[in-house]
Amino acid sequence: MKTVNKVVNPVKRAGEQSPAGIYDEKLKVRKRREWRGVKDTFYDYTRWLYLVSVLAKFIAVPRNIKGFFRYRWMMSYLFVMHGMDKFTIGLRDEALRITHTSFNFVIADVTQAIANCFRGDRRVGNDKAYSDACVVTDENSMVTFMMGFNTDEVHTILREVPTMFASNIFHQFNVMHYLDIAQQYGIPGDVCPMPEAEAGISIEDDFCVLGSCAVQNNTTCDGSLMGNGIIAKRLEREYGIPTFQLATPLRHKEPDVLEYAAEEIKKAIAFVEEHTGAKWNWDTYFTAAKRVNDATRCRIAQMEINSTPYPQFFGAAFSLYNDTNYMGNSGRNADFVTIDHKLLELAEQGYQAKRMYAKEYRHRCIVWGVQPQYVIDMLYWMVQCWGVVPLTDMLSVINTDMIAEEDTPENREQAYRDMAMLNMEMIMRNHTHGGYKVLLDDLWDLCEKMNADIVMMWEHMSCKALTGMHGMFEEQARERGIHIMWVSHDLCDPRVFTRQAIRDQVNSYMRTVMREEPLDPGLEIIPDNEAY
Amino acid sequence: MSKIGKFLLKVLLRIVLLALGFFVVTFTIYIFNLDMKATAMLEPFFEKWYDKLERKQYI
Repeated sequence: MKTVNKVVNPVKRAGEQSPAGIYDEKLKVRKRREWRGVKDTFYDYTRWLYLVSVLAKFIAVPRNIKGFFRYRWMMSYLFVMHGMDKFTIGLRDEALRITHTSFNFVIADVTQAIANCFRGDRRVGNDKAYSDACVVTDENSMVTFMMGFNTDEVHTILREVPTMFASNIFHQFNVMHYLDIAQQYGIPGDVCPMPEAEAGISIEDDFCVLGSCAVQNNTTCDGSLMGNGIIAKRLEREYGIPTFQLATPLRHKEPDVLEYAAEEIKKAIAFVEEHTGAKWNWDTYFTAAKRVNDATRCRIAQMEINSTPYPQFFGAAFSLYNDTNYMGNSGRNADFVTIDHKLLELAEQGYQAKRMYAKEYRHRCIVWGVQPQYVIDMLYWMVQCWGVVPLTDMLSVINTDMIAEEDTPENREQAYRDMAMLNMEMIMRNHTHGGYKVLLDDLWDLCEKMNADIVMMWEHMSCKALTGMHGMFEEQARERGIHIMWVSHDLCDPRVFTRQAIRDQVNSYMRTVMREEPLDPGLEIIPDNEAY
Repeated sequence: MSKIGKFLLKVLLRIVLLALGFFVVTFTIYIFNLDMKATAMLEPFFEKWYDKLERKQYI
């Protein structure tokens, strides 16, 4: 079997040596915050103050208070700091700064998204002029078709992000209520809990209602299509919001699908123009395209650093930041450029100083499959408890090609193909659809490039897209001498797999197959199953 | 020391004391996770509130 060189951190960690002391089974939150030494504790404290200021600013607006008391999912935003604490366990120096910089920015972005939803919501802010300039966009859709619309004139509202996806990061039980609602109405329990919860939110009438129109995408799975159908029915028939179905080819590696996909993008743009009255602007588009390319270059550079013995930016924060930037932003917001470069600067600084997240790196791991790692602090736990470094994850392995960024007549035609390519290769779709080449071959290439000896395969119980490939993964991993560690979960339904049940699968593999003892035995069992 | 000097010193001292007080209070909340413990205590009341709201449920 393949082995990698062990890397030992020569520097003793500042502050407490193990984060195990912060957990308490009687509490739904941490007992206290981690002592990281004076410098890093003070830094963490200042970031906490920053988040307090973001939330205080949000709640100071009366309509946001009204929204808070209207929508059940808002309750999870009481636990934003708890969510942040999950992703900083054991972190010091650059790693702590990288995680805060990326994650704090995502939190501020989501807070703004909620404020925008409430402003246009017919039940809360009811700002009709604002609502008429909004396009409700499917959470799992790239917003490339909005890249050429001026952000002051047309607003992209990904209302499922704050309602379901982000709220679940801060509170693991938050969507259970909506799953129960969906199942009360006959939706089976073996559907992916993510679209099922979104369907439940729609059935419960707990989405904000705004927008002149909506765009949905044939996203990644049967569950998503089912959820979109339920949501679109309510949007169109009850609220009179016309909904466009952006039909994107699934076999995105086949060149003959590109023209069809580009036509779909054109139709989506025409639909938005028709319903908002706004006009597509090529200057706006190519400015956004330049930012997309810049973000791609920064991401490639981060991955290159992660290919060395001293990876710097990894874990849920890496994945979540990429999700937000690549899919939800798509070059429309200039602020991401500043953050991208700040993160790269921090990573380069950390690499030069040979900073490490834990006292030892024993294994280099690629995280593959449909991942629940936003709900659980799994990736940070793996490195702290077992010295297994999650170099990157499937959702972060996205487009590396540059798109046309100069405004020429040829590039205007190319732009539709670029938008179509990005849309076809969006997060989740790019590896779960497109055949074994994108799901298997890409994985082995990545193992080679990043010098990984372990693949942690997230096995999502309710995901049909990957189930059929189980045997092929096993067979091909064996041929290449790569350890494959299957870890089952049920995404955002903790009743099926608790956090400890998820971690125990790694514990068993490391003890029985790898015959190793944990780096930090105090973390092997954490009493946080009942924590938010 | 002149009158103005004394006044400025007094103002400065107050600012320092206020900043120190702010730091002691907020740092205590931060390090003992009192913010999250307090919100966790409020959660059951919010649950009851959301349960009581009338909603138009249908598929």
